[in-house]
Amino acid sequence: MLDALVTLIGFLLFSMSFLALVSVETPMPQISQEDVQKKITEKPLQLTVSLREKETEIWSPFERIKSQTIPHNDEGMPDTAGIHAAMIEIKRQFIQENKVVFVPSAATSYDILISVMDALRVLEPTDPALFKPNEQTGIDEPVKALFPEVVFGNLLGEG
Amino acid sequence: MAAYRSIRFRRGRRKHKETELQLTSMLDVLVIILVFLLKSYSTSTNNFTTLPGLKLPLSASQDIPPDSLHLIITPEGMTFENNRIVEFELSAGSLGASEEDATYSLKAADLAEDGRQIKPLYAALTKAKDQAELLRAKSKARDAEGNPLPFDGILAIQADKRVHYDTIRKIMYTGATAGFKTFRLLAMKRDG
Repeated sequence: MLDALVTLIGFLLFSMSFLALVSVETPMPQISQEDVQKKITEKPLQLTVSLREKETEIWSPFERIKSQTIPHNDEGMPDTAGIHAAMIEIKRQFIQENKVVFVPSAATSYDILISVMDALRVLEPTDPALFKPNEQTGIDEPVKALFPEVVFGNLLGEG
Repeated sequence: MAAYRSIRFRRGRRKHKETELQLTSMLDVLVIILVFLLKSYSTSTNNFTTLPGLKLPLSASQDIPPDSLHLIITPEGMTFENNRIVEFELSAGSLGASEEDATYSLKAADLAEDGRQIKPLYAALTKAKDQAELLRAKSKARDAEGNPLPFDGILAIQADKRVHYDTIRKIMYTGATAGFKTFRLLAMKRDG
């Protein structure tokens, strides 16, 4: 029995992952296949979050939402709680929307990048429950994530 | 008789008693370790390693990254698949600054396309892509039409929390020009 225990412990220690890594996936922006004229008439949300030196702006180029400016906190960091709350309100209005364009400034650190992306994507258990109708069954289902598809909007170097 | 009374004998006898194995206590300890290991056991589908001194940010994401090509960015340089490919240079204003405050930037000689592309990274990514495509061509796994499976084009990026977005976007641009379409930004899992 002792041999079995020692072998089992050895196996578990050997195959255990001590580095608990998680990932935040972001696709490379693609050229939209939609017709520009159609876009102008239909006016998609194209939710955009711009991270500036002193504030964060949440806006839509097609003016589907009222532009919001959230000032950074006293430490000069983006107010992730404020951004998250604003994103929940927008998700409530556009429940089927999953995409958000993120435009950070060049000096934004990786740490802030991840924390803001979390605020845009993750729906915490403490957040109010959101429901969206299932198109096939018509039954309301709980929303699992806010805006899971985060695309960087300034990869070519502006800002 | 004198030997039994001798100090050496008594000391020897005591020593023998102390080294006796307490099997019950040892089993208890082993069972506790086993329960702890089983509770915190998680099978991982990736072989991502990290570098000493790398400070990863915390994330609330629940997505466990599967295995893919892997780039580590420290404030001093870049490591692709365990090979150091780029060394940053100390920024002009950081001379004499402490290790925490020092900032590094890419060397001008390593950049192309108006500073958007990192040349050594592009070379490493293209080589890795070619190797992956060659392996897929040799593999027996085929799609519905009998063609080799397409290159997945996923790059996992593990960056130090101090690295700036300016560097990340150059990496993403370089990746895109080398045929990578998806980027996985890695972070440490936040508890709770």
